[in-house]
Amino acid sequence: MKISVYAIFILFLISFQATLLHSLNPFGIQPDLCLVIACLVGFRTGHIPGAIVGFGLGFIQDVFSAGLFGLNMFTKAGVGFLAGVFARNLANRAPHAAFVPIVACSVLSSTVFLLSSRMGMGLGEMLHAFSFILLPQAILDGLAAIVANWVIVQWLVEAPSS
Amino acid sequence: MSGRFRPGVFWGSGVKRVSVALLAVAFVVFALLPRQSQLLLHTIGQPLADLVAIPLEGMATLDRDMREWWMQYIALQSLSEQNRELREKVRQLTGEVNRLRAQALTAERLAALLKFQKDESVRTVAAKVIGRNLSNWYQGVILNKGEEDGIREQMGVITPAGVVGRIVRTSGATSIALLTIDPNVAVAGMVQRTREEGMVQGTSQGLVRMKYLPPLSSVKKGDAVVTSGLTGGFPRGVLIGDVSRVEESEDNLFQTAEIVPAVQFRYLDEVLIVVSPRSPDAMIPLDQALVSPGLQNPAP
Repeated sequence: MKISVYAIFILFLISFQATLLHSLNPFGIQPDLCLVIACLVGFRTGHIPGAIVGFGLGFIQDVFSAGLFGLNMFTKAGVGFLAGVFARNLANRAPHAAFVPIVACSVLSSTVFLLSSRMGMGLGEMLHAFSFILLPQAILDGLAAIVANWVIVQWLVEAPSS
Repeated sequence: MSGRFRPGVFWGSGVKRVSVALLAVAFVVFALLPRQSQLLLHTIGQPLADLVAIPLEGMATLDRDMREWWMQYIALQSLSEQNRELREKVRQLTGEVNRLRAQALTAERLAALLKFQKDESVRTVAAKVIGRNLSNWYQGVILNKGEEDGIREQMGVITPAGVVGRIVRTSGATSIALLTIDPNVAVAGMVQRTREEGMVQGTSQGLVRMKYLPPLSSVKKGDAVVTSGLTGGFPRGVLIGDVSRVEESEDNLFQTAEIVPAVQFRYLDEVLIVVSPRSPDAMIPLDQALVSPGLQNPAP
């Protein structure tokens, strides 16, 4: 049952990111919701679930991506794992605490894509991609993570009984 | 939440440990056998792509409906100064008109597509855009036609307005096309007025540039750039866009022209995939052509 719910959620997430998210975002840059979810799973439940969820999400993302097959799979697994490792060293798990680790994970993941998709390009184009794609996306990922983390804390995680 | 490293806790136990080991093995295989792993992943991913295509198509329809609703909403805002009663009536009528106009536009677009498909001597397959790029690093669209419809990698994608891009990945029921504004797409182009050829390629800034134009070329702002038909995937003469700026390349050996694409990629709904850039009918062997009825002397 739980697996079916996760599968439906993943199908919905991928479809949403490929369709409606583009219409809701007029600036051309959108957050990578799969990365946000992989990181949040790592952040909240540990590095190994983060890596596994990231691997699965990345695989489906690879099926519908134009780049090298496997790139999303391993980068998402990596950032899910890293987010879990970050969380082990954080004392505060309030919604906003997810911002910095997820921005860092997004920058790392995007750097892999920057180097693979812009191979052979000049420094100017690399810098442009860094300033106008990588950094805005990292900030959007961090903001989306705060919202998603807040939703999880408010509605999905049971309040501790006093 | 202790930051202290304890291997037993860090690597978990049982299923978790096995999962991590499998991920590590997968990564090593991916790194050491890139070609084989690409093939394997592609094979595994195909049924998954067909499965994801179902909610994707539903969501794409919802997206299109929402866009139309939003346009209707914008149209309705301009009526706010009229009195309430009339506004209500106008709102109803405008809504109806917008709905009909949207239907008419869709019909018009499809008719143009159909006419274009018939007129062109190329063999094409019409496809619907069911999704956009899943990451910011590639400019692409997901199409609802795949290998089952004869779609293969490297096929060109066009609309009656001009060149859209190139197919880079296919599955049974879907395919991914990279747009011409992506830096990883290159199309052989030709300036229509001067007949000079060059390579048209996207840039990181989301623009399109025509490279390797001769240094003495007289290409100027406003010139139309079309496909030259030299590289596979596209027939000759499909519009790519208009030149907006011309500059010398960094090494001063060539000129580079910036192009405004003819296609508005943000509002792309239907496209044609070029299955065969030259129609089989158009390629009659020479011996047959000489005896074909059209070339024989008319009967007295």
